[in-house]
Amino acid sequence: MTSLSNPWNRLTLAGKVIVPLVIALIGVTIALAAVWLSGFGPWLIQWLLDTLGANIGIVRFLIATTVILLITVPIAFLNIFFEMKIIAFVNLRVGPNRTGPWGTLASVVHGLKVLAKEDFTPTGADVPVFTLAPAVIFLAAVMTLLVVPFAPGLFAFDMEIGLIYFFAVGGLSVIGLMMAGWASFNKYSLLGGLRAAAGMISYELPLILSVVGIVLLTGSLNLTTIVEDQSGSFLDWNIFRQPLGAMIFFIAATAEGSRTPFDLTEADSEIVAGFATEYSGMRFGFLFFAEYVNVFILSAMTTVLFLGGWNAPLDIDPLLNFFGIATPVTVVLDPGSLGFGLLGVIAIVPPVITLILAVAIRMLIPTWGFLRSLVVAFVLLNMLVVGLLLGWLAINLDWVLGLLWFLIKAIGLSAFFVLLRATLPRVRVDELMGFAWKWLTPAALINIFVTAAALIVVKSMEGGL
Amino acid sequence: MTEARTRIPSLDDPEIIVDTPATIYDAIPPYPPTTEREAEFYSLKDGEMLINLGPQHPSTHGVLRVVMKIDGEKVVDLDPVLGYLHRGVEKICENGDWHHAISNCDPLEYIASMFSEAMPVMVAEKLLDLEVPRRAEYIRVLAWELNRISSHALFIGWLALDLGAVTPILYGFIERDEIVEMLAALTGQKLLFNYLRIGGVNGDLNHEFLSRLGTWMSHAAQRIEDQQTLINENEIFIRRTRGLGVIDREMALKMCLSGPPLRATGIPYDVRRAHPYSVYPELEFDIPTRTEGDSWARYWLHLEEIKQSLRIIDQVLHQMPDGPVMTKLPRLLRVPPGRAWVAFESPRGQYGAYGISDGTDQPFRLRIHDPSYFNLQTVGLMMPGHLIADTMAIMSSLDPIMGGIDK
Repeated sequence: MTSLSNPWNRLTLAGKVIVPLVIALIGVTIALAAVWLSGFGPWLIQWLLDTLGANIGIVRFLIATTVILLITVPIAFLNIFFEMKIIAFVNLRVGPNRTGPWGTLASVVHGLKVLAKEDFTPTGADVPVFTLAPAVIFLAAVMTLLVVPFAPGLFAFDMEIGLIYFFAVGGLSVIGLMMAGWASFNKYSLLGGLRAAAGMISYELPLILSVVGIVLLTGSLNLTTIVEDQSGSFLDWNIFRQPLGAMIFFIAATAEGSRTPFDLTEADSEIVAGFATEYSGMRFGFLFFAEYVNVFILSAMTTVLFLGGWNAPLDIDPLLNFFGIATPVTVVLDPGSLGFGLLGVIAIVPPVITLILAVAIRMLIPTWGFLRSLVVAFVLLNMLVVGLLLGWLAINLDWVLGLLWFLIKAIGLSAFFVLLRATLPRVRVDELMGFAWKWLTPAALINIFVTAAALIVVKSMEGGL
Repeated sequence: MTEARTRIPSLDDPEIIVDTPATIYDAIPPYPPTTEREAEFYSLKDGEMLINLGPQHPSTHGVLRVVMKIDGEKVVDLDPVLGYLHRGVEKICENGDWHHAISNCDPLEYIASMFSEAMPVMVAEKLLDLEVPRRAEYIRVLAWELNRISSHALFIGWLALDLGAVTPILYGFIERDEIVEMLAALTGQKLLFNYLRIGGVNGDLNHEFLSRLGTWMSHAAQRIEDQQTLINENEIFIRRTRGLGVIDREMALKMCLSGPPLRATGIPYDVRRAHPYSVYPELEFDIPTRTEGDSWARYWLHLEEIKQSLRIIDQVLHQMPDGPVMTKLPRLLRVPPGRAWVAFESPRGQYGAYGISDGTDQPFRLRIHDPSYFNLQTVGLMMPGHLIADTMAIMSSLDPIMGGIDK
């Protein structure tokens, strides 16, 4: 009996994926039909809803963690793209421009490449520790995302001690770095791991002390409260109330995420690749994934704490009121009033707009063929529709606009981190420590003292205290 | 309690009997110690470890291997291991005729090969007592100074790259690319030019070279200045180079330093002025010096030398005489017997050659004195006591080229 006589072995890879799916689909359909016909349907649905409703906390936790874990993927790809493109821009190079439009898919291809590489464990490595280290580093980074409030009502956990949770869990990644450095059985890895431990522990202190001023001002460790406290115009943001604190936090965050100029842990001209020297394949991918996610998290945290989180820089409601537009603006669309006409709209309007756009493009750029202008017109139509949809959502749903503002700020800060990397050389390890202990920590203490003193003065003048 | 130790042949060399067999957890010396110094170096005190920097390491400038004995981040001692790029150039030169020696010496200083190929040429000319046409001499100076600028521009980028800045290296390559393109128009090659000939140069200046040179000269000085603003006043860069790898005048002279590392200690020794050759006596330029003797001084000197080279090129273009670019020489060049020493200033220092001819068409001996080799020797004095991160700043500030060091 040859292996080909087995029907399963004669399937191609695509078939091996599709056939079980088809079988599962048929099975689910039959089961659903059976349930429906037997009259158990309503009861089953009620039972499911009851169970979910009774365990709403667990359900919310599962969904939130899954979503958080999934959104790290596009975030990391975006940061990798920034890294390639912005550094190329500073270096007067072109950067990736072949894979996808403007090279946007190059980072995805990088990820696939890393997946396809050999996963190698060196002789003499401490295998379980070596294997676990990337997971620890990655999870420590991702778990901090759980408390970040992206938009009003859009967060995984609204923890009362969110700030403390962020610092506590963020500090866990040191353990992963030390694990990677020690278990790799390589002297360069060991040096990198120890540098990471020394640097991160030194910079935890100014990082935490720099936000104590905000905690004093806000009176809360809850990140949502901190963001809500900064609502209003951009002058209400903490960066203007706590400029010294913001500066210290940003510098310490750069060191905490081990980004240039503090990227001593993977200083390629000194210790090859630091703790990542012996890693290959997807384990190496995880280490770098964690680094880029970390960049976004630190930008997000800077945004939440100092740049007003989801708040818009200017409150335009008074301006709209001045022009006689009542706020909050509501756009009422009732597509159902069109009746069967809706079908006609859906069927006719998109092709017509596409054709009009195509003709316009063809007249503007005569060298393009009709097919090409048609494709471009279709893409333009889609962009138009998505833009309109986003605008409608932003007007009607509170959190969409908030999320947009938050992402603009956080991604802009990520780009700034990359710009720093393209510009600055690396500091030496003893100067890194000296800077943390001699300058940042005292400055953070002074910041706390001044904030507290100012609060006492203001409160006593208001007749409080 | 007496320890009953087993005597086992070593893993490295079965002839050697050791107390305990070496495992993968032990630092294995590359060979059993043969000298007192090696025995001292490869025996570790408490808390020390050996770390192998190179030959495959991102920042060792080729295939330099340095075994470092470190205590934490601090370098206690180091042992450079050379020879990974050894070709036996001196012996190869003896087996070809004098013309072959030019192309054999080309890759010695592969960043600025217009200099290393000048070595057999100048030795043969001295032995022949040959008068090189003045136009050829001017073209040589032009090519040398262009090549010096391209080498120095790259040096600045490398130094910054070894300190962790990713951008200056690419800015350095802009200058180098333009110069290399124009030299390619002149010589037909981009890296190993093989342009100088005994008694002149291979081919006169052409239109493409001059037009490229004119375009480049119109913006070179300003652009080199502009590009260095990224690191010139960068606090991190200055703190990481100033006061690092300091060497004083006496030690510099004892260690036979030359080029920017020597001039950084305050000694204005430049072969172009000290022992003038070619048409350098007719040209006006300064020998910039610093007195600190540290990495920053060496970096600053490279910048200043670029400016001086631009000055020289400007004068050369104004004074360029007409005439032939080659002297008439017999097809079979028999160099009269004798010995000759020539020295000239390469971007890295004094390049010297000591040639012996026995009257045949082949050199009897061509001893090459490479400045990188002597400059690199001083890392043993400079590095101990500094951190691992500083080894790169020191090593690349000496600008070693392994092609010439390993010969």
